[in-house]
Amino acid sequence: MFACIYSPNSTAASLVEFAYAFSPMVEELSSDTIVLDVTGCELLFGSAYELANEISRCAKKPSPAGGLDTKISVALAANPDAAIHAAKNFEGITFISPGEELTCLGDLPLRALQYSLIHVDEKQAIEIFETLRLWGINSFRDFVTLPVAAMAERLGQNGVRLQQLASGKTERHLNLKQPAREFQAALELEHAVAELEPLSFIFARLLNQLCAALNAYALATNELLVQMTLDDQTTHERKLTLPYAMRDHRTFLKLLLLDTEMHPPATAVMAVSINCEPVKPRLLQNGLFIPLAPEPEKLELTLARITKLVGEANIGSPVLIDTHRPDAFLLKHFTVKAKHDFPTRRRRKANQQSAIPTSRDRQCLGFRMFRPALRAMVQAPQGIPQQVSAWDKYRSIHGKITNVAGPWRTTGDWWREDRWTRDEWDIEVEIRNGFDDARTRALYRIYRELAGGTWFVEGSYD
Amino acid sequence: MLLPAAPALELVMIPYIELHARSAFSFLEGASVPEELIARCVEFDMPAMALLDRNGVYGAPRFHLSAKKNGVKAHIGAEINVQSPSSKVQRPLINSFSLPVLVRNRTGYQNLCRLITKMKLRVAKHAEPGAHVVTVSELQSHAEGLICLTGGSDGPVSFINADSAKQSTEWLIEIFGKENVYAELQRHFNRDEEARNQAVISLAKQYGLSLLATNGVNHATPLQREVSDVFTCIRNHVRLETAGRLLAQNSERHQKSGKAMCELFADVPDATANTLELSSRLEFTLEDLGYEFPKYSVPAGESMSSFLRKRTEEGARARYSGTNGAPTYEAARPQLERELALIEKLQLEGYFLIVWDIVQFCRREGILIQGRGSAANSAVCYALGITAVDPIGMQLLFERFLSEERGEWPDIDLDLPSGDQREKAIQYVYQRYGKLGAAMTANVITYRGRSAAREVGKALDFDDETLSRLAGLVHTWEWKDPKDSSERQFRDAGLDLCNPRIRKFFQLYQLVQDLPRHLGQHSGGMVICQGQLDSVVPLEPAAMPDRVVVQWDKEDCADMGLIKVDLLGLGMMAVLEDSIELIREAYKEEVDLAHLPQDDPAVYGALQKADTIGMFQVESRAQMSCLPRLRPQKFYDIVVQVAIIRPGPIVGNMVHPYLKRRQGREPVTYAHPLLEPVLGRTLGVPLFQEQLLKIAMICADFSGGEAEELRRAFGFKRSEARMKQIEVKLRRGLLRKGIVGKTQEEIVQAISSFALYGFPESHAASFALIAYASAYLKCNYLAAFTAAILNNQPMGFYQPFTLIKDAQRHGLKMLPVDVMKSDWLCTIESENGEEGKGRHGDGETGRQGDGAIKGSPCPPVPASPCLPVPVSPCPPVPASPCLPVPVSPCPPVSASPRLALRLGLKYVKGLSEQSGQAIVKARRCQSFTGIDDLHNRIPELRKDELRKLAAVGALNFIQTLAPTSKPERPRKDHRSSTNRRDALWQVERVARDGGELYEQLFENDGGSPLMPMTLPERMNADFRGTGLTIGKHPVAYHRSELNKLGAQRAIDISKLRNGTSVRVGGWVIVRQRPGTAKGFVFLTLEDETGVSNIIITPQLFDKNRLVLVDHPFLLIDGMLQNQDNVVSVKARRVQPLSFKVAAAPSHDFH
Repeated sequence: MFACIYSPNSTAASLVEFAYAFSPMVEELSSDTIVLDVTGCELLFGSAYELANEISRCAKKPSPAGGLDTKISVALAANPDAAIHAAKNFEGITFISPGEELTCLGDLPLRALQYSLIHVDEKQAIEIFETLRLWGINSFRDFVTLPVAAMAERLGQNGVRLQQLASGKTERHLNLKQPAREFQAALELEHAVAELEPLSFIFARLLNQLCAALNAYALATNELLVQMTLDDQTTHERKLTLPYAMRDHRTFLKLLLLDTEMHPPATAVMAVSINCEPVKPRLLQNGLFIPLAPEPEKLELTLARITKLVGEANIGSPVLIDTHRPDAFLLKHFTVKAKHDFPTRRRRKANQQSAIPTSRDRQCLGFRMFRPALRAMVQAPQGIPQQVSAWDKYRSIHGKITNVAGPWRTTGDWWREDRWTRDEWDIEVEIRNGFDDARTRALYRIYRELAGGTWFVEGSYD
Repeated sequence: MLLPAAPALELVMIPYIELHARSAFSFLEGASVPEELIARCVEFDMPAMALLDRNGVYGAPRFHLSAKKNGVKAHIGAEINVQSPSSKVQRPLINSFSLPVLVRNRTGYQNLCRLITKMKLRVAKHAEPGAHVVTVSELQSHAEGLICLTGGSDGPVSFINADSAKQSTEWLIEIFGKENVYAELQRHFNRDEEARNQAVISLAKQYGLSLLATNGVNHATPLQREVSDVFTCIRNHVRLETAGRLLAQNSERHQKSGKAMCELFADVPDATANTLELSSRLEFTLEDLGYEFPKYSVPAGESMSSFLRKRTEEGARARYSGTNGAPTYEAARPQLERELALIEKLQLEGYFLIVWDIVQFCRREGILIQGRGSAANSAVCYALGITAVDPIGMQLLFERFLSEERGEWPDIDLDLPSGDQREKAIQYVYQRYGKLGAAMTANVITYRGRSAAREVGKALDFDDETLSRLAGLVHTWEWKDPKDSSERQFRDAGLDLCNPRIRKFFQLYQLVQDLPRHLGQHSGGMVICQGQLDSVVPLEPAAMPDRVVVQWDKEDCADMGLIKVDLLGLGMMAVLEDSIELIREAYKEEVDLAHLPQDDPAVYGALQKADTIGMFQVESRAQMSCLPRLRPQKFYDIVVQVAIIRPGPIVGNMVHPYLKRRQGREPVTYAHPLLEPVLGRTLGVPLFQEQLLKIAMICADFSGGEAEELRRAFGFKRSEARMKQIEVKLRRGLLRKGIVGKTQEEIVQAISSFALYGFPESHAASFALIAYASAYLKCNYLAAFTAAILNNQPMGFYQPFTLIKDAQRHGLKMLPVDVMKSDWLCTIESENGEEGKGRHGDGETGRQGDGAIKGSPCPPVPASPCLPVPVSPCPPVPASPCLPVPVSPCPPVSASPRLALRLGLKYVKGLSEQSGQAIVKARRCQSFTGIDDLHNRIPELRKDELRKLAAVGALNFIQTLAPTSKPERPRKDHRSSTNRRDALWQVERVARDGGELYEQLFENDGGSPLMPMTLPERMNADFRGTGLTIGKHPVAYHRSELNKLGAQRAIDISKLRNGTSVRVGGWVIVRQRPGTAKGFVFLTLEDETGVSNIIITPQLFDKNRLVLVDHPFLLIDGMLQNQDNVVSVKARRVQPLSFKVAAAPSHDFH
């Protein structure tokens, strides 16, 4: 005997959990429908009808009491598909005696037929339903009364299977739901911990458990989610995202400690839980003649240490953005490039031939960018800079501009709030040495933001 | 290394001319129309400018005309894609470059046009953009008269290294000659560009080339850079956010003043100075186009003049026979002579002969053809058979068509049956004048409404939902509510104009309005040229096979003096043609459209009752509401009827005065006695453009040409200055005639307001002829007319369903689609079904109208492919002076079988024509003996097609007569199919090969276990399968419900008194909100008895917008208005009816 529970107001997880209270044999059909094999449950719940009543009664209970806090439809039948059709189409409790399937389901409209239960392709099912509509077949009963051989001749085996489904006579095994594997370790502390060292022991224990579990399944992880319940009942959450999948608990511990040092919890910790997302481990086989790159785990640790020193915003590999916006780039997490990421010699050659009289391929000067740019005072009586003066803690630039090229104008992102518009100049500045009055010349790039009229020195040429 | 800076020098102002600019006619590569570029020239005092659009001279006419108007010299050129000369220059990654060329003289222009034509015609219309290239050899052979520039960033010396730059320069010098190659410098404040400039300067020094400064203009003003960026996104199918460096680096590609350019190139003053020098070398303008209309080849010993005179005389003698009220040849001769003299003076003989030649071809081929428009004002056109309206009899004004003062080519529009017949005529012109001697005119598709909203919205990365809402803002209703400001529309759609992105969208949406998007094909305009048309304007392939189009649209062709002949497709012409054919086959009668009885009481009866569904020009709701008031009694009334429901008379408040005077409720008065002869036949109310011209001629002593000039000055292309100038002249003339004060004001006012919208009388008369013919055929040969109109759908105002229901109400029996009898098209059978396709064994037949048999076979009269001969039913002229010869009256024959219309297979939705024709062909060999047989003999028939045929009942009548072609397979359908379900049951079996397993399987009783379809099921199957039903009207199934609701039938409300409260219910077949109706919405509701007209006030519409627009069935409460037998219901309350039917959509938003 099979029972189907249909609850459009519940979540899939809660519905499955609810179903396990009645039978371990559960099929999750969709987010609102599950089927249970209740054969042999009579000893626990009494007759099938009593079982259905019990399911319905329990469902009305609030969630903490193991219920769903809602009204559900329950149907019991000798085969799972008949139970599904009944539960989805009739409210309350439906009991279908064996052999009485058509009596119960016969009046259902054909559109209620769940063709996916017998794995009929949607396109084929639609075509069959269209044919049936043209034939004036509107209900399960109409469909079932069609002669089987003539049907098979016209609609093929799919038609016959659909007809069987409509008659409630299909036979199949349940596709049982396996409990999800969870990789989580948690610990509640008797006393609040406010220091890193004792916390590290807790982390080590939890990570040991997690890595052992991952190892058992031959899995690794690239994301750790640490939740700390604090003394003031708030939660402190940290997520560690790793570029490679790993399962070395020592590395995890060091990374976690470095991260906790950088982002310490606000108050003492009362409970710790660590979750990880299991993924397949990374398999790498280096070539014999490939220079060895640093081990990923060590590299990550090193990067974490540097991050602790310089701050998260200041570490990574710069990547140019496809835009005319000056100095537009973003920082990506640093990773060692695989061999195939490097441009081949041939490709470089092709590029050299195509992109030509651009500044890149002519004699190029090195350019040192000042970050942030130096705010400057520039005298430009006729729009052409003649005198520049700028300084900060580390450098000062004062002098007469002896030569100038520009302006080079860029404007863009006019559809956004942060649009820009500026004129750049390359300038040669004559700088007087304060001690011996000697004069040296240096090349700089200055620019003026046209919106505000403010001048900046952007950097110097080598 | 620093690049040389522009020194701050005391600049000596050097004039500058922009010689490299693109307009929006570079299609998504430029953001300003030519007029905007010229306006900037005027602003900057720039004496000349060159337009170089991408691979074409699309914008050249507008550029030229605007320049001419503003005293600027317009140089012409183009940026053409040239294939890399890979043998000389190594470019591994780049296959072509853009070469800017300027036209020096006419030879250069011709070469440019030919180059572009070769490039375009080589590949299909929708080829990849890179496929359009000129080869090196083509460039070499067409370089004469052209000057080339070394180009900007995409030019020949931009992408290459020093060696290849040298090679490219040498190559250009070799092709064009050193003096015709200019080293182009552009400065847009860009580092890379400046590096290239320095390289170009050194190359120029090395090879002794002149430097030339240009700005590579893409848009007229800096703001239009945004449009240019949006276009870049549209072109590359990207969003602004992801376009990156595809977008412009800055806004410097706008048109700059000479001063700005001189400052920019202060370090190379020669570069700007040379623009003047080069401009002075460019002699060519579009004034010097060199277009000649082809000469008509005449027999030896004849000149074109003498030949035209002879053809005219021949025609005139036949048409002006003096019989049946037509004027005599002698009476017509002075007018003919006057016209011929003017035609000879203007050297237009060739034009008239060529149009005559096309008409002759159509006659030979049996294609209906009729000239329309102002050509109907010409007696020569009438004599040559080009038009069907006698301008002398109708006192039409020749000057409206042709005058010396106009300085323009005349315009002859020819109406042809749409479809294959028209294509035949077009292909004749191509064949006669060669592929490069004739072409269709183009139709420039511009950004408007929804397309602009969608594409701009996409570029701004709006999600689909927002895009749909934005596009939905663009109303398709003709009527624009004055309160419908853009702000309100946006607010209503839930879009906040304070949001910067929405605001930017709105701004861009307005900026792109009317900018060219791509080139289409004009519906019928053809340009013909003496010699090669590709030396006058570049030609391109059209999307349709075997057609080429010129790069200029219809207006531009006219402005450039290219004569065009419009070969327009008219659905009703095809209906008339098909009707004649069907009448010949089914009724065994020969109908000659040229000799239709002009006073057929059935026609005028139908018109007076507004029983005009399906009739040409008089079937619209507005026409139908006017017909019972106007009550047409003679042909001229139809001319008035056609012209009166137009924006001109409606906006000019002429309709009601005319109708009141006609009904005798208002006296006929004239503003001045001089107007009486002009306005007499329209009862003192001006209705036609010709009347306006005559008023000017009579009251202000204008010549015919001057009067036409006056009309044009006040017409669509009105210019304030020109209007003022001509108004002064008009007033002076009126004063001389003693017309002063209020009368003068009235006349001036009438002329100035009417010129804009007025309808030419000649055009109205041409249309009225077709309207009369369609009415005559409908009233007398209903079956043939209905079959023809159904075969030519989509056309007209109503859906096929409405046409069928109307025909059924008139007594026509409709027969269903049947594979045993239906052809691909609708056909006529005798009602008892024994005869097919109009074959009547005893030779007897009957005309059918209003269900009655009206006539007997008449002796066949040779058919004329031309529409009516002499028709001049002018009221003032005594009693129909030139009525056609009536057809021999056909006495009613009661014994002849009634005719019925058999629906064609064409109406089965989803059935391909190939399958349909195969069915007909196979059936002609041998009838189908069963569905098996049908399936076996027509392999083209797909399973879904068979199913569709069965669902609409087309397989119901297959009789099982003999074994199938597969005798080895046991037959199962050994009885005939009697209903659709039987057929559907069998179709599924025959369409599926059961294999050996089912080979031996017999069905017990040979029948299907399925229940036959009920009537409503059949109706729904009909609508799903054919979009119509010949069974009961959908509303008839719900009549009892409607009765309970107190709803009256359409037929009953006409009997009620004016002012009665009524309730009607029915199916909405038409929804209209005309621009002239001040926001009122008009619905046409149909039930099983006919149609009722509903008037919805703007307030009621606003309250019930969704119900009125979305629901197919409505219940309307309102007040009955019955004025002069025009019955309508002014709605007070609207409710949806929940009737379910798989309905065909209504015709909305006309």
